[in-house]
Amino acid sequence: MSDSAPHLTVRNVSKRFGATTVLDRIDLTIRRGELVTLLGPSGCGKTTLLRVVAGLAQPDQGHVGLAGRDITAVPPHRRNVGVVFQSYALFPHLTVAGNVAFGLKVRGVGKAEISKAVERALALVKLSHLGARRISALSGGQQQRVALARAIAVEPDVLLFDEALSALDRKLREEMQVELRRLLQDVGATAIFVTHDQDEALTMSDRVAVMNKGRIEQLAAPRELYSRPASLFALNFVGLSTRISGVVVDSKDGKVDVETRVGRLSATGSFQAGAAVVVAARPEQLRPTATVDENTVAGRVHSVVFQGSRTLVEVDAGAGERLLAELSGRDAATPRVNEEIRLAWPVSETFAFPAEARA
Amino acid sequence: MTDVALPAPAPTASVDRERLTAFGFALPSFLILAGLFALPLVLLLGVSVIGPDGLTFVNYRRLFGTAFYLGVIWNSLRLGVLTTLITLAISYPASFALARARGAVRSVLLATLFLPLAASVIVKAFAWTILLRSDGVVNATLIALGIIEDPIRMIFTETALVVGAVNIFLPFMILPIYAVVAQLDPRYAEAAATLGASPVTAFCRVIVPLTLPGVIAGVALVFSLSVSAYVVPTLLIGEKYPTLATTIAKAYLLAREPGFGAAAGVVLLTIAIIVVALSARLGREPA
Repeated sequence: MSDSAPHLTVRNVSKRFGATTVLDRIDLTIRRGELVTLLGPSGCGKTTLLRVVAGLAQPDQGHVGLAGRDITAVPPHRRNVGVVFQSYALFPHLTVAGNVAFGLKVRGVGKAEISKAVERALALVKLSHLGARRISALSGGQQQRVALARAIAVEPDVLLFDEALSALDRKLREEMQVELRRLLQDVGATAIFVTHDQDEALTMSDRVAVMNKGRIEQLAAPRELYSRPASLFALNFVGLSTRISGVVVDSKDGKVDVETRVGRLSATGSFQAGAAVVVAARPEQLRPTATVDENTVAGRVHSVVFQGSRTLVEVDAGAGERLLAELSGRDAATPRVNEEIRLAWPVSETFAFPAEARA
Repeated sequence: MTDVALPAPAPTASVDRERLTAFGFALPSFLILAGLFALPLVLLLGVSVIGPDGLTFVNYRRLFGTAFYLGVIWNSLRLGVLTTLITLAISYPASFALARARGAVRSVLLATLFLPLAASVIVKAFAWTILLRSDGVVNATLIALGIIEDPIRMIFTETALVVGAVNIFLPFMILPIYAVVAQLDPRYAEAAATLGASPVTAFCRVIVPLTLPGVIAGVALVFSLSVSAYVVPTLLIGEKYPTLATTIAKAYLLAREPGFGAAAGVVLLTIAIIVVALSARLGREPA
């Protein structure tokens, strides 16, 4: 049930705690049925933004709209949002079914309808057989499912997940990511996830908002976020990369030539000559080569890390610069440590970002 | 049992040792409780039912058969119930205020709760007599302010008794409730709100049930303390409000009727046990 009209809108929202600006004029529009992740390090404002949407925090300025109405001043209990908390916050004095029924009971829904909705929600998370259990008798993964069922049962306009999977162990978390995404797509839910886990963000979402210091640095589909990072922060936060600093010597037609300590490199982008930049490329773009072409750097292999389907090779290029190459299992020969090799990568897959001013 | 005898799994040495260790650790407290607490209680029960001619219920008949002693039991219950209800009404909101307070304010508030516990009950009850008597501080202030002309009779009234009892037993209600409230995850209230519960609904359906264990502990403590209070009624109201506790004292110290005193003691203990057991039952989690 995908609808292109904006379903959730955040307009110019700011929030300060004392002298700290936690949210700095945030704009975000989400369509119905879309799964969006707020990704960023702790303290970037992602949880505060989620709480503003839920009504658990009041913005100092700006507006929040949901399903066609302005909810900025609406208290949380009249917003029709569903929240899955990191700690789940399941009510320990109620059974599993009691927790799932809570939202419907306080809305004054009839008994027969409640029990039907509870059955449906528990079936959705595959816990139908545990309705009578106490919360304390459930495993972490089961509690997570109950929290989800409780939030879904009231059919909220938007589901909000605050680090909802981070309490699970890794294997279970990865399973839940895939299962949760399928489930949310099946019921056509609109959802916002908050996480600091890039894998979770890439797996779960239609679009990812990378947040830093109270701002959204980039809002893009996972694939685009990875292959076309908008800032050095976005590049660093999602995925691995080779980064070499240098100075722009020439810039034309959306291409810059950069003088670095390991030779001259070219990248996409436009800067003024003399600008300090960081040239970067994703590791799978780097290939061992025999010839010298554009963006070719020689060096000595520093480490080789075998990771199953891929092998990460770190190359010491001299002058303190390191290259990171990812070779897939299909690549012929894996270099050995201390071997001299030459790596090349396409200019079209090379980014240049303004170097961050360091004190 | 079944006819097929399966070889019983040999108990491993480590399990045995664990049990033995646990038993060893529990033994001293068991001996102390059994010797100094359970045994005297059995003796007390024995004294109350054994007369010069063997088994007798004359002491209990006297307690439950005379209007005066029924009144005494009623007085004790009334003191216990009134004190418990009033301390609960004060303590519940106070515990939330205490849990929300931060830094120096919290320390000061906690100190005002704990410090009075260091003073003897006699000192506190006597302080109330100074405050409430006809030429006491309260009357003197009211007269000086011109609010009243003649001193109001406050000491030796039931009001004085309950006010004093509430003041003295208040920490025993606040502390257990505060301990639960302070541990309460604020996410519970937030989860209830996002599920559509108004603040009042969230309070009634989530906060109250979750803080119930603290309330029950406080009620059990304050009720058993106030129903059996001796110093407080003796100093603040005296002869005209006999309670089970003052009756026991009189039976032992003045009338030299240990059998009757023991019977009153058993009745008092039974009342306290019933209330504590009932509240423990109420506080159980749903099955």
